[in-house]
Amino acid sequence: MSLMRSELHFSNVSFCSVCQVPVAEGKSVQHTVDVLHKKLEQMGSVKQGSFCVDCETYHATNVSGQPSKLLYVMHNSETPRSCMALYEGGPCIVADANFDVLMVKLKSHFQNAKGHKVECRGSRYRYCDFLIKVGTVTMSSSARGISVEVEYCPCVVPGDCWNLMKEFMQSFLGPSVPELPSVFATKPEGLFAQAEIVDTMTQYLELFNKLRKSQIPGSNVR
Amino acid sequence: MADVVNVGVNLEAFSHAISGIQALRSSVSRVFEFLKDGMKNRETLEGREKQFIAEFQDNLQAVNRDLNELERLSGLVGRPSESHPLHNSGLLSLDPVQDKTPLYSQLLQAYKWSNKLQYHAGLASSLLNQQSLKRSANQMGASAKRRPKVQPSTLVLPPQYVDDVISRIGRMFPDMTIELFRPNGTSAVLLVTLGKVFKALLVMRSLFIDRTLVRGYNENNYNEDGKLDIWTKSKYQVFQKVTDHASTALLHYQLPQMPDVVVRSFMTWLRSYIKLFQSPCQRCGRFLQDGLPPTWRDFRTLEAFHDTCRM
Repeated sequence: MSLMRSELHFSNVSFCSVCQVPVAEGKSVQHTVDVLHKKLEQMGSVKQGSFCVDCETYHATNVSGQPSKLLYVMHNSETPRSCMALYEGGPCIVADANFDVLMVKLKSHFQNAKGHKVECRGSRYRYCDFLIKVGTVTMSSSARGISVEVEYCPCVVPGDCWNLMKEFMQSFLGPSVPELPSVFATKPEGLFAQAEIVDTMTQYLELFNKLRKSQIPGSNVR
Repeated sequence: MADVVNVGVNLEAFSHAISGIQALRSSVSRVFEFLKDGMKNRETLEGREKQFIAEFQDNLQAVNRDLNELERLSGLVGRPSESHPLHNSGLLSLDPVQDKTPLYSQLLQAYKWSNKLQYHAGLASSLLNQQSLKRSANQMGASAKRRPKVQPSTLVLPPQYVDDVISRIGRMFPDMTIELFRPNGTSAVLLVTLGKVFKALLVMRSLFIDRTLVRGYNENNYNEDGKLDIWTKSKYQVFQKVTDHASTALLHYQLPQMPDVVVRSFMTWLRSYIKLFQSPCQRCGRFLQDGLPPTWRDFRTLEAFHDTCRM
C-alpha cells in the first residue's frame, strides 16, 4: 500500500479559508444555512453539487505512561481518492484512500474513539473564480454549527489574496469576517508559501475541535 | 449594335460551316467503316486488293475535300469575339435561353462589383496612408517602396540574436522566469512565469510577439503528449481577462524598427501583474468588481484598474 501519493491537484491547491458562522439568535442551523444560500444566489452564485468533509479520531495507546496523543483521519470529497492523517501537534500525511484499512490493522496502537466522528456536509457554490462551500457540522447525528469555506481558485499564495478574499467574504457574511487562518500565519515560510490541501484540512480540524468543546446549544438546534 | 449586325451577316456562313463539319464527320466515319468491313470477295486476290485500294483512296479524297471546304468556310466566319468588349465571354450573350442560364448578366454584375471594389480599395488605401496610426507611424515618412524592405529584415533575425535579447530581458526582471522553446523550427515560444501569480505563453515570430495566452500558476501548460499547449484558454475568468488585456498591449506596443524595445516594454507592462491580487483599483479603491480583481494595467503608469473603471 502506498502511503505517500500525489493526486494531481495536491501540488497546486489554491488558497482556502474556512470559518465558522454563528447560528442566528433563536433560529435553527438549517434556517441560517438557508439564509446564506439565498444570499449567495442573490449575488449570482451558481450551485455546483455538494461536498463532504469527515473526521475520525484515534487514541494512540499509551506507551510508558505518556499522555495519550490523538490522531485524526480525515476525508474530503474534493480529493476523493485520498485520505489525510493529522497527528496532534505533529506531522501529517496525505495517503491513498485505503489508509483506513491500515488503521484497522493498527488497532493495537490506535484505538478508534467511537462517537467522535464529525461530519460536515453541504452545497458548493461557484461565483466567478470563487468556490464557496456552506456546510453543516454534525457530531453524533446532532447539528453543531455551520462552516463556510471560501476558495479563490486562481491564487495559490494566501498572502497575495487575503485582502481580496476578505472583501469577498464581507459581501455575504457581513462585517464579522474572521482573521487570516492561523495555519498560514504560523508557517515558517510566512504568508507567501504555497497553500496545500493539508492547510484546508487543518482549518476544518480546528473548527471541529472548537465546536466539540462548545456547549450544545439549546434544543432549538435540529 | 454593330456587333449584332456583324453577327447577323455571318449567320449564313455559320450554318454552312456547321453542315461542312457534319459532312467531314460523316466522310471520316465512312473511312473507318470501310476499313472495318475489310476486302470484299472477288474472283482473284489481285482484283480484291485493287478494288479495296481504289475505294479507300476515294474515301480519303472525300475527307480531304470536306476538310478543305471547312477551312474555306471558317475563313468566312471570321473571329467575331475580338470585336466584343468582354472578349470571348461576350459570346455568352448569344445564348438564346437567357432565362434559364442568366450567366451573362451575372457576369456583368460581378465585373461591375469588382471594378467598384478596386476603386474603393484604392481610395481607402490612400486615406489610410494619410493617417498616422500607431503601428505604422514610423514608416510614414518613408516611401511605399521602403516598406517591404524594412519588415523582412527584422523578421529574419538569427535565432542566436533572439536568444540573447530574451535572456537579457530575463535578467532585467528577477521575479520573472522566462523559458524559451522552439517547438516548430526557428520561431520561439516563451513561457513566462511571473512570481506565483501566473504563467504567460508568448508565441514569437522572430522578435515580434504574435500571440499571448495567460494561465494560472497552478494550471497545466502542456498537452497530454508533453507539447506546449498554446491554444486552450485558462479556466479562470481572471486570467481570461488578463489574456484579453495582454493582447491589447501587444497591439499598443509597436515599433517595427526596434523589436527588442517592444518586447522589453511589453515585459515591463506584464511584470506589473505581480500584484494582480494585491492591489486595489486606483479609481474605486475596491479589490473586487463582479468577482474579478483589477485586471487592467495602464500602459504608461502601470496602475491597476478594474476593466470598467479605466478611462
